[in-house]
Amino acid sequence: MWIHEIMSYAHPEVLVDTEWLSQNPPNENRKLVEVDYDPVNGYQKGHIEGASLIWWKRDINDPVTRDIISKKEFEALMSKNGITADTEVILYGDFNNWFAAFVFWVFKIYGHENLKIMNGGRKKWELENRDYTTDEPQITSSQYVAQPPDEGLRAYLFDVSRGIGKEDTVMVDVRSPAEFSGQITAPPEYPMEHAQRGGHIPEANNIPWATAVNDADGTFKGVEELRQNYEPKGVTPDKDVICYCRIGERSSHSWFVLKYLLGYPKVRNYDGSWTEWGNMIGNPVEK
Amino acid sequence: MLLDLPVLEKGSFYFIKDGNSAIILEDKTKRGLEIKETSIDETLKVKADKGMIHDMDGIGHWVPIRWYFSKDSYDLSNVQLHANAMEKKYTELRELTCPQDDD
Repeated sequence: MWIHEIMSYAHPEVLVDTEWLSQNPPNENRKLVEVDYDPVNGYQKGHIEGASLIWWKRDINDPVTRDIISKKEFEALMSKNGITADTEVILYGDFNNWFAAFVFWVFKIYGHENLKIMNGGRKKWELENRDYTTDEPQITSSQYVAQPPDEGLRAYLFDVSRGIGKEDTVMVDVRSPAEFSGQITAPPEYPMEHAQRGGHIPEANNIPWATAVNDADGTFKGVEELRQNYEPKGVTPDKDVICYCRIGERSSHSWFVLKYLLGYPKVRNYDGSWTEWGNMIGNPVEK
Repeated sequence: MLLDLPVLEKGSFYFIKDGNSAIILEDKTKRGLEIKETSIDETLKVKADKGMIHDMDGIGHWVPIRWYFSKDSYDLSNVQLHANAMEKKYTELRELTCPQDDD
């Protein structure tokens, strides 16, 4: 991607590319964090030199209740990773950066300012045959004070129910067309992520997450292509936009695109997503 | 196409199909799973199509989808032994999760 394309994003400062990272390794003020859904087949087999690990399931989710971690747990996680409120943090990960985007969203909920994503994630790093290590960095724990949660970034079931039928609210279903139509509720690879009903939230637009990235290396498309991806379907900056998928990770990727690359002022991620909506008794479903 | 092969035997959880050079045992519970590699299954020591299933923690586990028992080395009765073991394993698992009320 050309530099002028990156600079035309609404917030170009939230992205770094693989080459930049290879020239600017982590240090005391710049922490690199790999975010994995499957660390056994990711981080543990090899990661970028100096990267610590956030395991999405273990570290960013409450261990008992279905929810993201609390402010206190987030502070403990930051301290464990040697991150302070002023640290520049660069996230990247497996599964097309979906979970890195989810963690980006959680960092923003708790007010971390200096935060970036490595464009293309593990996929691009590996396509470029760049080096990995299995050595884990020595981390000195830090003191971290988070901000109160910014609930304006998160949509709950109640918000979604209220948004149905409202002209100024638009729902973006970023799942595959087969999930959107109700043909499947989850692929066989993810037997824990099914719902009792298939289909989508009434009036939602199906704009799969993958339409925002370049097939070849998983990097984000340029601004013009992104605009063309969303605006003709009524997903415009003047709306209250709610993104959802199955468990909220692919939708945080699209949330990132809309909020930080296109600069939409009001975008929320509905992390309850289809595994909540499609399991609730009485929820309206469209096929 | 594997789908078109004649079925020699079927159970609740398996098919045994007649391939050209192999008798094929298919695990019905892995239906629809993407084949990510074909390699020797260390348990049954025969070639198998394998996919990956992610558990509650997100960790991916390699699982066989179907096994190819060469006709040079195996006959139907050999394959039936494995099929019966699989049927027993899944039946017990089902009993554990959905026990019959009348038991």
